[in-house]
Amino acid sequence: MVTERAEVRTQTACETVAPSRSALPPWLIWGGMIGLVQIFAMATVQPLGVSTAYPQFVGWLVDKIAPGFAESQPYLQKIGAKIGWEVMLVLGLALGAALSSVLPGGRATAACELPNVFRSAWGRGFAAFLGGFLILFGARLAGGCTSGHMLSGIAQLALSGFLFGAAAFTTGVLTASLLLERTNGS
Amino acid sequence: METVQILGLITGVLFGFALHRAGFSRCGLVMRGLAFRDFTMLKVMLTAIAVGMVGAALLATFAPEHAHLKVKPLYVWGVLVGGLIFGVGMAIAGYCPGTALIGLGSGVRDGVLAVLGGLLGAFVFILAYPTLEPVLIKPLDLGKLTLHETLHLPYLPTALVMAAILGGIVFWLNRLEARARTQ
Repeated sequence: MVTERAEVRTQTACETVAPSRSALPPWLIWGGMIGLVQIFAMATVQPLGVSTAYPQFVGWLVDKIAPGFAESQPYLQKIGAKIGWEVMLVLGLALGAALSSVLPGGRATAACELPNVFRSAWGRGFAAFLGGFLILFGARLAGGCTSGHMLSGIAQLALSGFLFGAAAFTTGVLTASLLLERTNGS
Repeated sequence: METVQILGLITGVLFGFALHRAGFSRCGLVMRGLAFRDFTMLKVMLTAIAVGMVGAALLATFAPEHAHLKVKPLYVWGVLVGGLIFGVGMAIAGYCPGTALIGLGSGVRDGVLAVLGGLLGAFVFILAYPTLEPVLIKPLDLGKLTLHETLHLPYLPTALVMAAILGGIVFWLNRLEARARTQ
């Protein structure tokens, strides 16, 4: 496992240095690819959506430890505590990332360090955990995340997607700007 | 394994591969993107949305039997408050629920921690749902509204125009970034 070293000043540039022979920039190639994956998802089962899988998996897991949990929770009755398309999609995400990181060209594109605003590796680790908590709680309250509400919602011209995107970017931009301000550049 | 599970897995592997190649395994990309110091995140997202937008409208128009679209309801309070919480979390973690798994899959410690935090967040939401539903989800639920239906516009042309606008924004962001680099 690569431990992400949280160092501020060592970071100079955040270029994606993919050794690509193609004239197309990586963001265009991979952004376009994600769009095509979206069309595949829409043509087969349903639009891309990641965050439902988290409570489904948690419900499934807790129900194994404490039988009857899934049945007792109204939210799990609504979404189902099951290993279906959503949880398999999430499994595939981790698998696809693992595949990309071991295949040629994977390392160069991942070389993008974090501007450290949390001083220590412990602080940074806690921030990742806390941030993870907030994105899932927020996404479940809103009914979707970046994929479900933005990649899929806005792509379907859903008004809920536009509202979610506007709300998330408002606090996201404010928080990130405040945090990066404290690091004095990078 | 059932067909639907296999399809989910295939979709996930392709999606994960593309997200990793776009650089989302590292949380810095999202943080810098949100602070407008690097437009990669925005360019990838807007390109993906534009392609999906054209694809969804083409599917719905020419092959409606294959168009498995799913518009999410606009329950204003929940979507708004959830979105505001989500934005804070995304900036702190540098991940969204999907890219945290990209970090996990490529062995980045912070990605693993973000996924664990996410599982706890999901668990707390399950328990909080009965309390939150009558306050933030049930009231002011306007239903599954779309831009074109609300404005009584034809679907395909609206989608094409919106996708072109997104493409224009991406082009502009790219020019802006190139200009900043040469300075």
